[in-house]
Amino acid sequence: MKKRVLSVLLGVAMVSSLVVGCGSSSSDSSSDDAAAEETEESGDGYKIIVVPKMTNLAWFERMEYGVDQVKDAYAEKGITVEYGGSAEGDGQAEYVEGLIGQGYDAICVVPFDVEALDPILKKAQDEGIKVICHEASTVENMDYDVEAFDTREYGAHLMEKLAELTGGEGEYIQTVGALTSVSHVEEAEGGKTYADENCPGLKMATDLIISDDNADTAYSKVKEALTANPNINAIQCAAMSETPGAARAVKELGLSGKVHIAGTSLVSVCGEYVEDGTVELMSFWDPALAGQAMIELAIATLDGTAAEDIALTTPGYEELTLDGKVFTGSAWIDVDASNVNDEAYDF
Amino acid sequence: MKQNNKMKEILTSNQMIIVYIIVALSCAIGMKNPAFADFSTIITLSRALLVTLIFAICEMVVIISGGIDVSFPAVACAALYIPVVVMKEHDMNSALLAFVMAAGIGLIVGIINGFLIAVLKLPPLIATLGVSSIVSGMVLTFFGTNEISRMPKAIKGLGEVFLFTYTNKNDITYSMTVFIIVPIVLCIAVHLILKYTMLGRGIYAIGGDKNAARIAGFNVVRLQFIVYIFSGVFAGIAGMIYCILCSSANPLNLMGSEMMVIAAVVIGGTRITGGHGGVIGTVLGVVLIALIQNNLIMLGVPAYWQTFVVGAVIIVGTAITSLKAKAIANSPKV
Amino acid sequence: MAEVFLKLENIKKSFGGVQALKGVDLEIKKGEILCLAGQNGCGKSTLIKVISGAHEQTSGDYYLEGKKVEHLKPIDAIKAGIQVIYQDFAVFPNLTVAENIAMNNSLMTGTKVMNWKNSRELALKAMEMVGAHMDPDILVERLTVANKQMVAICRAIINDAKFLILDEPTTALTKKEVENLFEIVRGLKKKGIAIMIVNHKLDEIYEIADRLTIIRNGEYVSSGDISEYDRARFIRDLTGHDIVEETYHPEKSQEEILKVENLSRQGAFENVSFTINKGDVIGVTGLLGSGRSEIGDALFGIAPADSGKVTLKGKEIQIKSIEDAIKNRIAYVPEDRLTQGLFLDRSIRDNMVAASINKYFHGGKLDFKAIADDTAKWIKEVSVKTENDLVPIRTLSGGNAQKVVIAKWLNTDPELIVLNGPTVGVDIGSKSEIFDILHDLANKGVGVVVITDDLSELVQNCNKIVVMRNGKAVAYLDQAEKHVEENEVYDIFSKEGGEE
Repeated sequence: MKKRVLSVLLGVAMVSSLVVGCGSSSSDSSSDDAAAEETEESGDGYKIIVVPKMTNLAWFERMEYGVDQVKDAYAEKGITVEYGGSAEGDGQAEYVEGLIGQGYDAICVVPFDVEALDPILKKAQDEGIKVICHEASTVENMDYDVEAFDTREYGAHLMEKLAELTGGEGEYIQTVGALTSVSHVEEAEGGKTYADENCPGLKMATDLIISDDNADTAYSKVKEALTANPNINAIQCAAMSETPGAARAVKELGLSGKVHIAGTSLVSVCGEYVEDGTVELMSFWDPALAGQAMIELAIATLDGTAAEDIALTTPGYEELTLDGKVFTGSAWIDVDASNVNDEAYDF
Repeated sequence: MKQNNKMKEILTSNQMIIVYIIVALSCAIGMKNPAFADFSTIITLSRALLVTLIFAICEMVVIISGGIDVSFPAVACAALYIPVVVMKEHDMNSALLAFVMAAGIGLIVGIINGFLIAVLKLPPLIATLGVSSIVSGMVLTFFGTNEISRMPKAIKGLGEVFLFTYTNKNDITYSMTVFIIVPIVLCIAVHLILKYTMLGRGIYAIGGDKNAARIAGFNVVRLQFIVYIFSGVFAGIAGMIYCILCSSANPLNLMGSEMMVIAAVVIGGTRITGGHGGVIGTVLGVVLIALIQNNLIMLGVPAYWQTFVVGAVIIVGTAITSLKAKAIANSPKV
Repeated sequence: MAEVFLKLENIKKSFGGVQALKGVDLEIKKGEILCLAGQNGCGKSTLIKVISGAHEQTSGDYYLEGKKVEHLKPIDAIKAGIQVIYQDFAVFPNLTVAENIAMNNSLMTGTKVMNWKNSRELALKAMEMVGAHMDPDILVERLTVANKQMVAICRAIINDAKFLILDEPTTALTKKEVENLFEIVRGLKKKGIAIMIVNHKLDEIYEIADRLTIIRNGEYVSSGDISEYDRARFIRDLTGHDIVEETYHPEKSQEEILKVENLSRQGAFENVSFTINKGDVIGVTGLLGSGRSEIGDALFGIAPADSGKVTLKGKEIQIKSIEDAIKNRIAYVPEDRLTQGLFLDRSIRDNMVAASINKYFHGGKLDFKAIADDTAKWIKEVSVKTENDLVPIRTLSGGNAQKVVIAKWLNTDPELIVLNGPTVGVDIGSKSEIFDILHDLANKGVGVVVITDDLSELVQNCNKIVVMRNGKAVAYLDQAEKHVEENEVYDIFSKEGGEE
């Protein structure tokens, strides 16, 4: 355990000193100015931090990039925006706990383990810190959660594609990072609901497959499932690392074209499998934009202007629906062989 | 009479008990899911346990010598991540270089471990735990924490070199990776060295009684150095193989794997107190754990129960070893 | 006249300022058994290390087969045929008998390859030479202590031993095993090997030795043919003063200290009863497994009795756990003091108060002055030989360590003290001092129970004796009624059941 703490600390130190960027997206420049504009009349001196599930994933690297994009514009307005977290998901709760009492006005967090994090977020709120979440509609102790989209709808969207590819016949499996990962489980449930309602011929082959957000584990388990049940012809992956893992298994087993994959991932991680057709639909929302949306919402919350009819300036989040404390946008991006080489998606 | 006793001893030995468990488990899985009873299982299992087996052989040698090494996951992570980062940065593209760097990193850590344990006489658990933190921390600090998916071509290519492929009746092809050769050669070599060289017997001797070994004339310090260097070098190589097989370099994925590896070694009959154990037992221990870890879906164990089942098997397996040791300690002496 | 193998003249050895050997002479001939006797801490170990080349003497001459040797290294000693068998034998428990025996030979020849067939043959040859019978393929951890010793002897023989040193070889052996060992030693003697046995058990020395050399406090005292020594001279030379050997006879008293009635624990012992009056030291004896140790365990609550009545100072008490025993002021000196009775790496002072630490807590603070004072008092009272009370127990001799254990318990002001094998590994001088302390305690009204298989100390120091056989108390002997002889006790407990 000690070892992990040390590595986490070092990891944090490293992340805060390293700026890794890869490619640029055309949609970002607009949000840059917009964000600055939006905050014109807000109070000065806000200190806001964005905490990812874990730092060592390309997905959150992209979120960091998004935060960096707007950092300077906010700085001019006197708002400090930071990005930081633990290298591994296990260390997130501890990391957030360490933030309390450091003068932050708002914490924007993508929870890894909701159960572990919730009591700590309560502590933060008790200290007067505003809490904005992402990918975690079930968190109790938060001010608002902002979702790129409704995860159930998103899951249904992936399953819709699989239904189309399989002709609505066969068996499917679903992978999730962990059973405690709320958005993953909801995504899988959304897919299942869609299949149950629309495709009587498409059945769930086995229980949810848990990958620990690890590509190699996803690879082994998908391989096992495919061997165990040759009727499987569709795979829906919730976590970013699972899609290439599942694709590698399908490709190695010579099942490309027979077993269809639709899942969440990024071009940099999974692009080659989209190109060669093993992965037929790869969807994602831009974590950079999600990060920016969280910051915007945090400022609005601090200003007291967050309400049902709020419109953010971040693309995909202009129109939000509010359900309880959860704002939902419509910000998913579909990538398939036809647009995988589009530079805008190269991250 | 004597012959009978020997037979009985063999049939109730640790190894045989693990064999029984493996056979029983295989039957259970096979009955539940006929797809298991197929040659493809061997290929899948080989691929799944390959890296663990290398780690386990290293750990076994260290434990036999009376020590323990918990730094190998950190060594493996460093040895897979640093070469990839360096090669990408300098646009290099050589698999050989990658392996040389990986082994070199393992060598350096092995020397440090050896120095701390053999020369400074630190307790092995503490020494390797500390080294593990330092190595892992340095990697994350100086080389980053991000998973690298775009690997140098030469390294990536090796992941798609196969010894043979097998197509089952469902038209699924299974390919045996070329890297399976590494643990096979390692197992045979380590078995021969441990059994038939004075170096190997010396490792058992220092694990049995360091002081007696010194009096007998073994160079205890040298033997300990050899053991930790061996463990470091092969942990490094195993790390690089893992990276190639995953076709991505993640500096943290292997962290935390030490407990499972130590469990596999102990299940295989290696006593944690040193001096006892062998390659065959370790292979069986690794097979048992891999079988469990990789066939829970086939067995239809619900997702919530999978961790529980793995834990239960580890407890049962290790209990057999320690109960056996206790039985020997309490048995009437001859 | 046989040829002299080794001769030492006026050997001196000092470590820093401490003179461990102050001029020792020693001579041993081929085919001779020499006993080296001396109390614990007299310099025996240092002398062995000088002989085996582990230490070089500060001054004095060392002759091997008539030739003067200088700067002897351990490897030279081994090559010259000098082999030491240490008390812990230095065998590998995890290796087979054959490998253990052959290993040194392989190391000496510098081979890189392990030849199992050769090892086995070598081992069988050695066992034949020595006259030992063991399965060569069995792991040494499964051997008895005596057989482990055999392995060590075989290993020494295989390396062309000409001079074999056995360091206290009989400490952990049963009577039968000692006889067997001596048989083998005599066999080796016939082969012309010189043998030196370090021992301080008088009876054994008479049985095996040809000659005897006695050293005391690092000084050479005397040497001579065994026939030149009678019991009195031996003890005088060993301890420096006469020890009066007489039986313990306390003053008759009617004051009852402890009454044990029908104490039983299933599978261990049944219906054991005895009474201790003021002044009584009661001895419980029997063979290993007769139930003698189990009675001690029951009185201290380690393995409580199932039934029976224990009355301590007129009050009936229940001993269901160690806590109960301590609450009732019962103290226990275990058989294996090294692992059960002492913290070897802690100081005398720490050990002295380990069982009575609560006494020194005043207002949440430890009263260090009281601890130091009490420790000093006990060191004087039980005469522990040490420079100060901060040295670790590990550095003390067996006798001194045992005194610390006893003092540790006396510091709890016990009403009953149970001692299991109180003089194992303790030299004669310390032995009598320990019993003086116990007799003194008994006369002050503390109940003393001594569990022992050392018959001479039993009959000398206990005025009441309980003899156990197969879990039953088969005899109650009282010295006041009739003087008890060693043989008498031995006859009682070895009847029928025998050793097994």
